[in-house]
Amino acid sequence: MKNACSKKNAPNPLQQKVYNILNPFEEFKTFQFHKMEIPLDQIVQSTEVVMDQIRLGYERLLEEEAKELVWMVQYNTIIKAYEVAEKYIKEIDYSAEDIEDFCFALESPHKIPYLIPGPAGIYISALCNYAKEEEIVLKLSELKTEINLIGFRLPKGKRLMVEGDTGDFTGIGLEGGELEVEGNAKNWTGAGMRSGKILVKKNIGLHTGEWMMGGEIYVGGRVRGLGNIVEGKVYERDKLVYPGKVRYPNPYY
Amino acid sequence: MEEKRLQALQALIEEIWPRLKRKHLYPEIPIPKIGKVHDPLDEGIEKNDPAFRGVGLEMKDKQMTINPAFLSTLNGKMTEENLIEALLDHGITHYTFCPWDFQTHLTLYAEAKKVMGDKESAKQAANYFIDVIADTHCVKRRATEIPELHRNLKKGAIEEVIASLYQRIWGIDLGISPSKKGNDEVVRRLSRIPYLDRSRWPESIRKFARSLKPLLILEQKEKEARGGKGESNPQGKHDLNHYSYEEIDQGLRDYAQKTMGLSEFKDVVEDFSAELKEMGYGIEGGMGRGRGAPIDADVLFYMKLAENYSIPLKKIPLEEAGTLHPHSHSPWEVGSPFQDIDIWTSFGKIMPGITQIWKKKEGKGRGKIEGAPDCLIIIDSSGSMINPRKNLSYAVLGAACVTNAYLRNDSKVAVYNFSDAPMGGRDVLDFTANREEVYRVLCKYFGGGTALDLEDIMPMIKGKKEMDLFIITDMKITNLETLIGFFGKIQNRITAVHIGENPYASRFEKAVEKRKNINIFKVKKKEDIPHIVLGSIREYFNPMSRRR
Repeated sequence: MKNACSKKNAPNPLQQKVYNILNPFEEFKTFQFHKMEIPLDQIVQSTEVVMDQIRLGYERLLEEEAKELVWMVQYNTIIKAYEVAEKYIKEIDYSAEDIEDFCFALESPHKIPYLIPGPAGIYISALCNYAKEEEIVLKLSELKTEINLIGFRLPKGKRLMVEGDTGDFTGIGLEGGELEVEGNAKNWTGAGMRSGKILVKKNIGLHTGEWMMGGEIYVGGRVRGLGNIVEGKVYERDKLVYPGKVRYPNPYY
Repeated sequence: MEEKRLQALQALIEEIWPRLKRKHLYPEIPIPKIGKVHDPLDEGIEKNDPAFRGVGLEMKDKQMTINPAFLSTLNGKMTEENLIEALLDHGITHYTFCPWDFQTHLTLYAEAKKVMGDKESAKQAANYFIDVIADTHCVKRRATEIPELHRNLKKGAIEEVIASLYQRIWGIDLGISPSKKGNDEVVRRLSRIPYLDRSRWPESIRKFARSLKPLLILEQKEKEARGGKGESNPQGKHDLNHYSYEEIDQGLRDYAQKTMGLSEFKDVVEDFSAELKEMGYGIEGGMGRGRGAPIDADVLFYMKLAENYSIPLKKIPLEEAGTLHPHSHSPWEVGSPFQDIDIWTSFGKIMPGITQIWKKKEGKGRGKIEGAPDCLIIIDSSGSMINPRKNLSYAVLGAACVTNAYLRNDSKVAVYNFSDAPMGGRDVLDFTANREEVYRVLCKYFGGGTALDLEDIMPMIKGKKEMDLFIITDMKITNLETLIGFFGKIQNRITAVHIGENPYASRFEKAVEKRKNINIFKVKKKEDIPHIVLGSIREYFNPMSRRR
């Protein structure tokens, strides 16, 4: 019996061999994975949250104002869309950089499925008007879409600088703010503006300053055509063209 | 004295290397060395020049080299052990996280160029971006001395901004005082980028370059004013020296496949042409080395893209062949047959550059064995076809895949590229195994009318009983009936591929439907290309039908 027991306790040579084999993952038993929380994580996360809120606001604006994805630029539709945009924007805490990110997000269909230039421009204008910063720089040179209606109702004390070209109706209804476009602006720029300043570095389209009630428009390039201006000043390459000899439209183009 | 110091530093590296490897989860990188690296000091820049920062690390083909002179510049500020560890952490992360491979590097560069417009600033932007990602990854995921290194490095204008960015996103004080108003705005913009999210890198680098653009332009001007001298990155340059020849080859192949855009590929290859040539990268990407041949980006695009597709080639019994025996070894390429691989000399690995195949030679005995015959490719380059040098041409891509299929089976390929052949619109290449020559003729575009001249083709097939024919066209050939008649007379295997659908293609299909030696395929999109099977399957499985 004793013998049998001692036999049982004797090490099995086969088992001994298995035990001696080196586990290739042995070293990882003591490996401590270093993962540090850095402020970048927080910044990126909060940026995402804000972007989602901005995106949601835009989608709601489309739901209310462009139900069939059709939107006509009319005085009433612009005012109405702006009011809706204001309603959603007031609830969001965002910065000027978020506005620029939203402009680029508009071009990624997986982020924002519908880009309708009118409401998008109104929404961006509302974002600029309600931003905490007094000076906003939007670097939009690489944006493929020219945003319409940018700078709508820009209030006094705000300065909006756009790097790149803008679309139609740039700076309409300006309310004392300063809008600078580091590229070209299309037709109806400054239409109905009441006061403030619009600077366009390059060329500007037709109907510039239509029903303009005050303020100044400075154009570094050529003015393709002026609109029916009520009051205000338009400069073309530092030369006053309104009040003065009005061209409807510029025959050189 | 100097020799002793180098030995001590090398010993130090050998001591810390196992710990570093473990920290980075055992990357496949050789042990770093201490030695001379390319330094601006050699170009006549003085050490007290503000532009001089010295180069601490050099990476060539996965071999990292630490510059002992650079270690001396930070004497007393950091221990040599910590300094070496920080430099190596950075270097290793380039292999393990960003850019990871050559394709990612090219993608980042291409995206940066969209914003910057010019080559040099785009390269700079991509380099800064890659460094920020590598360092941030290290700080977050590994215990590293990189922050200490940045605290002690000399900084130019951009480095100052980047260090401010690090302070902000790492939450570590690097001794950077609150910067100018403009720089603060740049730092704020840069800090919003999700650097560690690989899936968003293309979008992130555009934002990064956009924010840093004014500073990069300024730096570029300053560099030009210094005559291009003095540019140095203490953490090492990011050029093609990082990658092995095979990695570049693979990177170009993946990039061509990913973009599928000729112009984008061409732009990038032309921007890197000097470096590619320096690496000995001629037009024959995966097939040979040597300086001299100019890089034809269009041809290279089709070459790399075609390497992503593998078209099966049905072999036929060749009468004149005897028995084959393994004779010598040759390197295996992606897409080459697997059955000839010699597992013993390939170390059991299937990997270009390592794997070898047996090159078989004909023995003295005679008998019927299977083999791939030579092939004549007839390609239409008339006005109705896409110009392969302007847009992606499926015809050229298809023909390129066919070329690869035959050349990999040790057969030769001839090309008949035609537009209005009777009027001289044709290019003929006799049977050759030179892939580059074949591709050059395939990429030729005439853009005129469409007519074949059988007198050109007849001498090429004369006496070649076991020869395959491959024709790729939209079938809008003015003398289509002549072609149909010609195909009706010959017994060779014919693979006809037509691009798109039209009445001419239907007419051709109907006319040859009873011919067992003709297979017709339609290519509408690139995914259709792998469906082409060269050679007649029916005949292969039922050789009796041929005798009848």
